[in-house]
Amino acid sequence: MKFDLSYTIEALPRLLEGATVTIQVALLGFLFSITLGTIIVLTRTTLNWRILNGIIAIYVSFIRGTPLMIQIFLVYYVLPVTGLNLGAFTSGILAITLNSAAFVSEILRGGLTSVPKGQFEAAKSLGVSGFALWGRVILPQTFIASIPPLVNEFTQVLKATALLSIITVVELLRVSQQIYSANYHPVEILSGTFVIYFLLCFFVSRGSVLLENHWRIRRA
Amino acid sequence: MAIDFSIFVEYGPRLLMGFWLTIKIVISAIILGMPWGLVLALGRRSRFFIPRLAATSFVEIFRNTPFIIQVFLFFYVLPFYGIRFPAEYVGTLALAAFGSAYFAEIIRGGIDAVSKGQLESARAIGMSDWQAMKNIVLPQTLSIILPPLTNQTLSLIKESAILSTITVNELTMSGIRVQGEIFRPFEVFIMVALLYWGLNESIAFLMRKIEKKANKGRTTNQNIAGKNTFISRGASR
Repeated sequence: MKFDLSYTIEALPRLLEGATVTIQVALLGFLFSITLGTIIVLTRTTLNWRILNGIIAIYVSFIRGTPLMIQIFLVYYVLPVTGLNLGAFTSGILAITLNSAAFVSEILRGGLTSVPKGQFEAAKSLGVSGFALWGRVILPQTFIASIPPLVNEFTQVLKATALLSIITVVELLRVSQQIYSANYHPVEILSGTFVIYFLLCFFVSRGSVLLENHWRIRRA
Repeated sequence: MAIDFSIFVEYGPRLLMGFWLTIKIVISAIILGMPWGLVLALGRRSRFFIPRLAATSFVEIFRNTPFIIQVFLFFYVLPFYGIRFPAEYVGTLALAAFGSAYFAEIIRGGIDAVSKGQLESARAIGMSDWQAMKNIVLPQTLSIILPPLTNQTLSLIKESAILSTITVNELTMSGIRVQGEIFRPFEVFIMVALLYWGLNESIAFLMRKIEKKANKGRTTNQNIAGKNTFISRGASR
């Protein structure tokens, strides 16, 4: 057999359509996971309840210690048994969110330690506390310090969305599977998919530098 | 929904068989991938353009695409060119290739972390490039890269779950098969998750102990090592 590029080109429009779904899922999942991750970090540092901290520690350890695929299965197959029927798309995003939030919370925790203690003290001596302290002073600095690992995490999420094809979310990989199960040319189609994923991830990870420069200027 | 504990007893042995295959695959992938990763790392630092380009493209391609597609490509491309292996071998090969790209970056980071003066003084007393690398730089690199290598090993254990998509009968696949017979997703997948979790946590625990022993009285390297674990948390899944 010979590699026939015409199959790849023919499939390209549908693959790109799938890629937009991949990007949507990744963006949604990442947005939710940043929100959840921030909430986790905030409860950990401001409330500091021992039981809650224990639960969070177990959650993070579980997420980091088990394959994402199993987590996806747990969400997709187990929730319906308890009566919560979400459908593939929603449970996929839920699984990605729960997974990524654990990593994001660890990243933000690292970013938080890079904020000097003087910032807290200065804010307090000016009478800034509560929402203004966190929302205006501490969290912005935490996020700016965490840009490189957060961008890295986003590429991880982008790659992780490919796993959702297993639970029938019609994203890029699923689309390519649909195409090659119809025309029996897996090598040509999968190569196209491979290149699209590579370009997506490669440009996102290179975009980290731009983002960092942008925020450095804003800050100064 | 009540948890049926008899499932753990009845189907546990089958899952343990899969678990054993997972362990074997990961160990083989590390044995194959680590030397190849070292070759890639040295290739990226090479003075010549061609090996540098080849090693860099290999690493960037494998780091910037989902592992599941790499697995599919290995699974379909090898037969396309007439090379036929059982699925386990293809899976191990894919895992080794994927892992080697990350190993290469870790080793490269470790080599860069050893101060440049070490290499220069080794060259100054008449060692060749390779001798200096082998006798001076790489031994020092080892203690620096131990924590990130552990992380990468844990990540390979988790990624090996994806091999279930090409019918390798490892832990996840056994779980899927058992679930297909008894329709008790919670018990089955929790059991699978606990096995992965237990393995990962025990390896992490063991390596922390070894690190502590290896780093005794070596404060400078410990600092670098601590920094490295934070940076090269790259392949987290």
